[in-house]
Amino acid sequence: MSLLTVEKVTSGYGDMEVLHEVSIAVDSQEIVTIIGPNGAGKSTLMKTIFGLLKPKSGRISFSDHEISALSADRIVRLGMAYVPQVENVFPSLTVRENLEMGAFIRSDDFSGRIREMYDLFPILGRRGRQQVGKMSGGERQMVAMARALMLNPQLILLDEPSAALAPNLAEVIFERIEAINDTGVAILIVEQNARQSLSLSDRGYVLASGRNRFTDTGENLLANEEIGQLYLGG
Amino acid sequence: MTTLAHIPQLLVYGIISGSIISLGGIGVSLTYSILGFSNFAHGDFMALGAYIALGLFTLFTGLGITNAPFGPLSFGFGFVLAFILAIALTAIAVILIDRLLFRRLRRSGPVILMMSSIGVALGLRNILQFFWSPQPHYYSQAIQPAVSLGVLNIRIKPDELFIIALAVVLVIVVHAFMRYTKMGKAMRAMADNATLAQVTGINTDRVIIWTWVIGAGLAATAGILAGIENKFITPELGWQMLLSIFAGVVLGGIGNPYGAILGGMVIGISEEVSTAFISTGYKPAVAFVIMIIMLLVKPTGLLGRKD
Ligand SMILES: Nc1ncnc2c1ncn2[C@@H]1O[C@H](COP(=O)(O)OP(=O)(O)OP(=O)(O)O)[C@@H](O)[C@H]1O
Ligand SMILES: [Mg+2]
Repeated sequence: MSLLTVEKVTSGYGDMEVLHEVSIAVDSQEIVTIIGPNGAGKSTLMKTIFGLLKPKSGRISFSDHEISALSADRIVRLGMAYVPQVENVFPSLTVRENLEMGAFIRSDDFSGRIREMYDLFPILGRRGRQQVGKMSGGERQMVAMARALMLNPQLILLDEPSAALAPNLAEVIFERIEAINDTGVAILIVEQNARQSLSLSDRGYVLASGRNRFTDTGENLLANEEIGQLYLGG
Repeated sequence: MTTLAHIPQLLVYGIISGSIISLGGIGVSLTYSILGFSNFAHGDFMALGAYIALGLFTLFTGLGITNAPFGPLSFGFGFVLAFILAIALTAIAVILIDRLLFRRLRRSGPVILMMSSIGVALGLRNILQFFWSPQPHYYSQAIQPAVSLGVLNIRIKPDELFIIALAVVLVIVVHAFMRYTKMGKAMRAMADNATLAQVTGINTDRVIIWTWVIGAGLAATAGILAGIENKFITPELGWQMLLSIFAGVVLGGIGNPYGAILGGMVIGISEEVSTAFISTGYKPAVAFVIMIIMLLVKPTGLLGRKD
């Protein structure tokens, strides 16, 4: 059974339905990418999985728990973490305080985990006492990812981790994503930067107008001409 | 004395009243940034604290608990005990109000919360009037002589030095709490982004309770200190200060507790110093004018951020 299973989920904002019977699955230790045009409902899917939006129908389960009706603070305790597309750091807090907040529900000593995060993102280690609001987009993305990893999640949801980053910085982020995955964390990514993301993904989904369009291995999706033209900018 | 010779003394009065306004402002600012609404009941939380202290003090006096004055101050053990318990009871009362009312309305948005806080304000004031009448009550009728500070003809009462000192200590304690404790950091995090706080696993309900504990505790303190300074309390005491408090909060940068402290001090001083030039009756107008000017010139306030 998959680590995360989304089955025929319909969801949206108020009366407006954005997702229509969307299904996806992520296995343990997998990297899975969701691509799709602007407004396809990718972020809406992430918010629905993480309990910020209630699905109108369908089921979501995570490591043997039905989570469709759970709120975000319950889901985070089950071992899933989420890095939103925007506003994903606490700007008035320092780097270190952001990581401490990531460990809020831990009552043990988590200083070792903070050191691991500083090893993963050495820049953050040097800037531990800096206010995050004053940092660059790439550094903020690193803070956001490190914050989400503080609880040693089994699965992390990344909504456009490389959006608005210079190509060389996006490269760094993807390389770190692979490093995180190597430690056994499953990763579900939503990406505009689809080629790069698919190339390191086990599987990918194409979402358009709130519906599943294609599903295949990352490799096959990259090789598919139709998808290349429609969703990967030719 | 000429008008100008009065100014150092008025400055001191301003610092005293600014201390009280600032303590009130911290709570308004925290409620605004963490719970996302302007709490119009905050002044009445101050009055509630002042009356709970009065009730307990009366009870303790009846029980024969000593209130022999501490040194030059006008009060002693009995009053201090009533003071401390009133802070705790006010915090508990406010948490109950949150559980019964504000929590249920949290999803309805800031306007509904603000309106309901006006309801709470009126309700509390009526309860206080019902039990204690609208007439003034006194903690102590004794007249405390002011002592000279020996500079610029400034005179100040020992009680007033106590007010300033307590405000300074409390501001330092609140600062240390916000800066260094896990809950203080979580309060700042939630003020930054409540949804992200939830996503991160921060227990937002506990953060809210702590926000009320601090806000209500400081409100009760401010109310009691206002009673000590004015020599009497009425059910309207907090409501009458609310404009000055909001003006201080806006001036300093709404949602920033440090701004509320700075703004409260500036408002307190401006109100008092203005009496050298215009009638005392215009004090509220002074606060209002400063607030409006700030909103027009720099809506984010003295310490406000742009985002
Ligand atoms: N908070 C909201 N309230 C109402 N409608 C929303 C909200 N957020 C998004 N939508 C709408 O839902 C649809 C899907 O938006 P969503 O953010 O999920 O798209 P996306 O695939 O993530 O796009 P992008 O690539 O631009 O991030 C859009 O039509 C959008 O306008
Ligand atoms: Mg999106």
